Amino acid sequence: MNETGKPGPKTKRRAIALAGLIVANVLCTSFFAMDVITDFESLGTDEAFHLTVEAGAAVVLVVGTSFMILELRRILQRNASMEIGIRAARGEMQAVIDKYFAEWRLSDAERDVALLLLKGLDNETIASIRGTATGTVRAQCAGIYAKAGVDGRSQLMSVFMEELLSEPLGALRDGAAAEAA
Amino acid sequence: MNAKLETRDAGEAGIRIIPVWDPLVRLIHWSLVTTIVLNGFITDPERKLHEYVGYAALALVILRLVWGLVGPRHARFSAFPPNPIAAMRHIRDTLSRRSSLHLSHNPLGALMVYNIWGTVLLLCATGIMMGTIRFFGVEWVQEVHEAAFTWLMISVGLHLLGVFAETWMSGVPLVRAMVDGRKRVPAGREAE
Ligand code: HEM
Repeated sequence: MNETGKPGPKTKRRAIALAGLIVANVLCTSFFAMDVITDFESLGTDEAFHLTVEAGAAVVLVVGTSFMILELRRILQRNASMEIGIRAARGEMQAVIDKYFAEWRLSDAERDVALLLLKGLDNETIASIRGTATGTVRAQCAGIYAKAGVDGRSQLMSVFMEELLSEPLGALRDGAAAEAA
Repeated sequence: MNAKLETRDAGEAGIRIIPVWDPLVRLIHWSLVTTIVLNGFITDPERKLHEYVGYAALALVILRLVWGLVGPRHARFSAFPPNPIAAMRHIRDTLSRRSSLHLSHNPLGALMVYNIWGTVLLLCATGIMMGTIRFFGVEWVQEVHEAAFTWLMISVGLHLLGVFAETWMSGVPLVRAMVDGRKRVPAGREAE
């Protein structure tokens, strides 16, 4: 399986860049603040203006950095909820697959083969994973298609694609729950 | 067979890869390490650079404390509350090899983390005081500054010991997680 469950590399890079900016900003702020403190000690009358400017700059930096911190938090939170959503969708899909396999009364071996078929593997690969002959896999595929009432691999796929596209996931879950009850 | 299939998906032997440390936590950690090494062993304490680096360390710790309040789940204080009783329990469970896995800091590590932050703050505070007219040349301030540094070095030593011990006992490569942000939890281990 590929990395579709993870937030894209672009958002990741943005989060890293933002974190870098925040740290840089905070370091700058600390230097301004330090200057203000040391100047405050040796405060002459003509220093007051200089001091005010520096203190002002420090305040502006702090405010700006606060916004960046909130933005970073927002990005990270969105990533996290996206990941949970995709994981949930995956779980739902597994439930749908199990439901159909049970309905079609596939044997254990047929279930394994069907799952590999859905993952897009060809007969040779399935045979090598399962340690059986290609002919066996071919026979099992024929059995699966017959039980499912489809005439081939792409129709088998489309049974599940249709499920995925036609109903909202919430409805699927409710349906599965109703069946389980 | 089904179980075996899932194992294949997850890559190496069913390891679950869980993002825990966000970029800011990691950047702060390694920047803080840099400032401590710089000021402990490289910069001249009499020079301006020592002061600049000290302010940077202070800023980093303050930023981390803010992030502990508003940051994502594993970075928050609530994920690793200071709890000496839980820390003792963690030692006991570790010795009997049945400690639970923690996605954020484990209870003992949490105590160490707060200790390190506190010590760095104390170092910064006394360092700044030494630079002021009011406390310039005051003996005890300098003594506290030096004692705090010694304590920080002891703490860092224990910190490293803890990190490697926990890595060895739990099978989760912690240093790698502090670099790329993701903890690799071995198959069949529950994590909290
Ligand atoms: C001056 C040296 C160091 C200081 C002051 C220090 C301080 C800290 C602090 C404050 C944390 C908590 C991080 C957070 O929650 O933001 C932490 C965590 C961590 N540090 Fe360090 N550190 C130092 C050196 C190192 C080194 C050299 C390594 C690696 C070889 C390391 C590895 C780690 C790891 C793996 C964690 C996360 C532990 C966990 O998973 O609970 N640290 N350190």
